[in-house]
Amino acid sequence: MLNRFKAKSVIQSIFLHTLLMAVAITCLFPLIWMFRSALMTNETVFVDKALIPASIHFENFYLAWTKGGFGMYFINSVIYTVSVVFGIVMVASLAAYAFSRLDFPGKNFFFYMFLAAMMIPLPGSFVPLYVLMNKLHLANTRIGYILCMINVGLSLSIYILKTFFDKMSPALEDAARMDGCSKLGIWRHVALPLARPAIAVIVIFNTLNVWNEYILATLLLNDKNLMPLQRGLMVFQGSHSTDYPLLMAGLSITALPVILVYLFMQKHIIKGLSAGAIAG
Amino acid sequence: MKLKIFLFCLCCFFLFGCMQNTNSNTITVWHWMTDRQDTFEKLANQYQQLTGIEVKFELYAPSDAYSQKIIAAAQARVLPDIYGILKEKEKFAVFVKSGFVADLTEEFQKNEGIWEKSLFAKALNVNRFEEGNIYSVKPGIYGVPIDVMNIQMLYNEKLLKKAGIGRPPRTFDEFIEDIHALRRIGVDGLISGWGELWLLDCFASNYAFNIMGEEKIMATYRGEVPYTDNDWVEVFRIFERLRDSDALFKGIVTKNNKYAEQDFALERAAFAFNGSWCVNVYNGMNPDLEYGAMLPPKVNPNLPMRIWGAAGSSFMVNNSSKKKDKAIDFLKWLTSERQQVFLSAETKNLPSNRHALSSIPEILSQFASAMDDITHPSTWKYNEDPLVTETFGKEIQSISIGERSPEQAAEEVQRIKIRQLERAKNRR
Repeated sequence: MLNRFKAKSVIQSIFLHTLLMAVAITCLFPLIWMFRSALMTNETVFVDKALIPASIHFENFYLAWTKGGFGMYFINSVIYTVSVVFGIVMVASLAAYAFSRLDFPGKNFFFYMFLAAMMIPLPGSFVPLYVLMNKLHLANTRIGYILCMINVGLSLSIYILKTFFDKMSPALEDAARMDGCSKLGIWRHVALPLARPAIAVIVIFNTLNVWNEYILATLLLNDKNLMPLQRGLMVFQGSHSTDYPLLMAGLSITALPVILVYLFMQKHIIKGLSAGAIAG
Repeated sequence: MKLKIFLFCLCCFFLFGCMQNTNSNTITVWHWMTDRQDTFEKLANQYQQLTGIEVKFELYAPSDAYSQKIIAAAQARVLPDIYGILKEKEKFAVFVKSGFVADLTEEFQKNEGIWEKSLFAKALNVNRFEEGNIYSVKPGIYGVPIDVMNIQMLYNEKLLKKAGIGRPPRTFDEFIEDIHALRRIGVDGLISGWGELWLLDCFASNYAFNIMGEEKIMATYRGEVPYTDNDWVEVFRIFERLRDSDALFKGIVTKNNKYAEQDFALERAAFAFNGSWCVNVYNGMNPDLEYGAMLPPKVNPNLPMRIWGAAGSSFMVNNSSKKKDKAIDFLKWLTSERQQVFLSAETKNLPSNRHALSSIPEILSQFASAMDDITHPSTWKYNEDPLVTETFGKEIQSISIGERSPEQAAEEVQRIKIRQLERAKNRR
């Protein structure tokens, strides 16, 4: 009986691990393939099918960095990502707290308006956004692009945080109020620390979104010196031809910071997801 | 303290980012051609040294993002001095009618038309609106081609030699014989990106011109000749013959041109059907590839073989630009012989200036030698209904994989043609 139970458990474990390994390989293989392609030349990239190339060219990373002009673009992407994510966390947490905990006229109407904004695909708003930014003299400026990107990330972030704040115990607020906290104080000292897992989810979602964004940047920015990192990758893609090894080297450079952010925050993200941060 | 320094740096960064260039001696050009940015910048430097005018080439890629930006900039009335329109002629006409594009006819005809005569007329036609055009645009030339392209057949010299073939085929029968010789030594025949219907349509259109001539094709588009006509069945039969003689590369009808280019560059097939841009592509993938360009082999010796070709990329001048004259002068300079030779050598594209042909690489010369044989749907008086064109391409794909006979394909295309003609009649 015990043996049967043990055998069943071993089979289950083998099945589960095989499945997880298959999923892990599916996720990791494109990254590994990208990295090995970055070490090849244009002549060997289509011929050499081995996982480890016969001749390795680490200089591709240097070439990609210099030819793609990644230095300036990298700084720009860091500035945009940090500013936008910070802006989204601040505005979304304040808005979500208000939608969840305060009573004001038109509360539901405004909340549903935010949710409705999630349904509008970004390309659909390109033309009006561009016209508006030009009228405000914010086209081709960093601040214009940052404001637009904050706007893009707000709806989902408010939705995630509101769901989280809805589950927060009112007793905690009452206790804080008795200790003399104002509404803003409760948000700052009670709600925000408790919402850390949800904020981690928002940070990673929006970091990925801003770091990989390029289309809106192309639309709003004219000056090459204001462009994000993705602009550097375009150098390797011609209308008809592509320099695959340098493109892959550029992609590896671009992907690295996001992978690091994910690794750094994975504990909070898992906590956030399992705590129901995006439940509902 | 550290935080204050960081915030100060951040503010400087933003302020620096807010500064915009409003120099009146600067011409701004928007384009999408990533592979030409370096060359454009070199030319801009030369122009600045020569005239003192700065030309700023601003790159926006991919082309979809560029198109979006152009449309948005037009609506916000902030188009640059020079730009390109990527969309079809209908969209180009809308831009012209909205007053966003300068009419360059007068400039082209100045000094007994010296500028117009220096460029390939057929490339210029892509930017020309004739008298009584269907878009109701004022007749004139509204764009400047900076390079040209055409689509031909390519052959791998080494593989042909290996199969004992001395010269590329001139007739379709010779081509089929060559395919048999190649198959005997285990080499695949023809590769192309026929998963992209436009390329398949292009190949079929070449043979339609050779089999029946332009007049009959236009009559078909007008609905006066059915697709079940013997000549059209003959066009479909070309693909049946290619299939039956095992000439087509495996999976050709689902291949994108990018992958088809890889197959030819890596010598997996002896023939390819591709555009002149391939010179640059093959050079990147296999610089040692020995190949030549040729017209598709004729079926009918009595009519010419017409291939598709036109302006590769064109630039338009913003009609409301305060630097319109400077922009036109720059385009005149850019399309003059010396700059065109430089552009062609650097980017491996065909020059739009006909005088530049004598100084370009051999393979480009082979492509260029067919410039008098080119035609393009955008220069035809009539165009086929898009749904009929799509059905036409799909039916050819079906013939190529043995699902249809030429007669069945012709009947199906004609059925759709009749339906579309009736719909158009009802709309009127």
